[in-house]
Amino acid sequence: MNNVILKVSQLKTYFFTRRGVVKAVDGVEFELRRGECLCLVGESGCGKTVTALSILRLFDSPPGKIVDGQISYDSLNLTKCSSKQMRKIRGKDIAIVFQEAQSALNPVLTIGDQITEQIKLHLSLDYNRTRDRAMTLLSEMGIPSAERVMSYYPHQLSGGMKQRVLIAMSLSCDPQILIADEPTTAVDVTIKAQILDIFRELKAKRQMSTIFITHDLAVVAEIGDRAVVMYGGKDVETAPVSEIISTPRHPYTIGLIDCLPDTSKSTGRLTSIPGTTPNPLEMPQGCTFHPRCPRVMKICSQQEPPETAISKEHKVSCYLYT
Amino acid sequence: MAETLRDIARRISRPLFNSTRLINYYWQRTQRNKLAVFGLAFIIFLVTLAAIGPFFTADPTAVNFEEKEIPPVGFTTQQSIYNIESNQFIAKEIRGTWKHPLGTDSKGRDMLAMIVSGARVSLLVGLIATGIAIILGTIIGVLSAYLGGWVDNALMRFTDVMMTFPFFLLLVLIVFIFGPSLAFIVLAIGLTGWTGTARLIRSESLSLRTREFVVAAKALGASDNRVIFRHLIPNVISLIIIIATLSIPGVILAEAALSFIGLGDPTVPSWGAILESGQHTLNTAWWVAVEPGIMLFLTVLAFNFLGDGLRDAFDPKSNI
Repeated sequence: MNNVILKVSQLKTYFFTRRGVVKAVDGVEFELRRGECLCLVGESGCGKTVTALSILRLFDSPPGKIVDGQISYDSLNLTKCSSKQMRKIRGKDIAIVFQEAQSALNPVLTIGDQITEQIKLHLSLDYNRTRDRAMTLLSEMGIPSAERVMSYYPHQLSGGMKQRVLIAMSLSCDPQILIADEPTTAVDVTIKAQILDIFRELKAKRQMSTIFITHDLAVVAEIGDRAVVMYGGKDVETAPVSEIISTPRHPYTIGLIDCLPDTSKSTGRLTSIPGTTPNPLEMPQGCTFHPRCPRVMKICSQQEPPETAISKEHKVSCYLYT
Repeated sequence: MAETLRDIARRISRPLFNSTRLINYYWQRTQRNKLAVFGLAFIIFLVTLAAIGPFFTADPTAVNFEEKEIPPVGFTTQQSIYNIESNQFIAKEIRGTWKHPLGTDSKGRDMLAMIVSGARVSLLVGLIATGIAIILGTIIGVLSAYLGGWVDNALMRFTDVMMTFPFFLLLVLIVFIFGPSLAFIVLAIGLTGWTGTARLIRSESLSLRTREFVVAAKALGASDNRVIFRHLIPNVISLIIIIATLSIPGVILAEAALSFIGLGDPTVPSWGAILESGQHTLNTAWWVAVEPGIMLFLTVLAFNFLGDGLRDAFDPKSNI
């Protein structure tokens, strides 16, 4: 399997708080293939972001800790790397784009300062080539008059511009893997479309391997190759995006897709999944979804469902399919 | 570190020089506070005085008993002078002259020259000691907030101890042990005066470190050092400027107080030292004590007004 660039197996990231252990990520498993766009889908609090932060080991530690599992990248196990090694990987091999561009940019440094920062950190280029590289990236992201923007402060840019600057920053050292943590959540619809275009282009031009985190299945359908549906810190269903949309298997995935507004039947209320995401301090026994599951069985509350392969590419963790 | 200094210099200078609108904005906000403008004007005057004044005034150490205790211009005093021929004291009226506009002290030294060189000493003490205190306080505060955990606890408990320790007693002790040299006094004030700064900077940094750009910087592969010096400290610059302005007068007063109780550097004519020498001749030459007193009063007031004005101007939440 030389095609796999990043493999996350049985990853468990717990947060040891005063009120108890929060099992934010509890046994996630997926692999990222070269040049594909893998989507992590799920409600808020299902552990998508913590999974992403775990890959780069960016969560606060303490209280957070990776208690088990492996993240294999390029013959390295990222859970065991020294912090010095991690610093070299961050930004250079694996880059991340954050959700809120507004707060991810330092308000007192110019765009130029911030975008050249990691080029200086990871590549030893002279001043002019660093600046050239930064400006090329900015214009590639569709920012007009990049030279002027370099001397701007973040508050002088619009939300969409800032998001593009962030993407340009993350790409500045030609990373192997790009993690995008809900980059389309905090922007309006037109900007969202433009940003999705950028990601699509990245895939086409650079064959970028991307982990795209979102809760929006419409976005998944648009740019994803494969999707991992997460619930309660676990991956419940993994499949190619077309299969997830057309033939979802896990009751949670089915619920998510039913929640999407369907313009062909414009009558009636939108459906929703009953209940809320479980309290991470008191995860339900067995399958974490069983209290909300419409097709719950007796065994669901007793034992964790094993992963079942429906086809070579489609895996689901649910007793309905064992 | 060098990059931080560059950042700091640029953060203060570049936006201001690049954008006249920003200058106007801050100037107008500061201007609305008339007292702050007065403070700024007086400080500029004082700095000019301290920088170039000593080249134009007489030697402040030149002793001349022929011309002792001459009052300032516009004042007259009675002096008893011993007449050898008649072997008795004669009362003589002495009028202030333009040769010594601010009069002379009991040893005939020119008061204007002493005040001017005293300004130099007081400002240097104020700036250097505050500089030391601010740098220490900022580093301790930011480290404490950023590293958290036991480091935070240890540093903050140390700060508590330093705060509860009577500051003046410590100064007296240090001067007593190491001798009254101005360098030691400055160092002592600087090394003890950082506690308040550390507290303020820590609380500000605590909220900054949870901001996403800190995580983002780390995600780019930045080291802790880099995050602290390049991302956190430039964000607290406006706070640092305000703290510095407000703590300079305290330092100047502390040095004056030390000199006043006789623990100052006897070789340097600071305002405090002049004041101290003036109290012995309060009956015959009141101006020797009053003049440096007025200067201290105005200087402290000016820095306080400016600091208040800057705090209001830099604070986007205040509507003055």
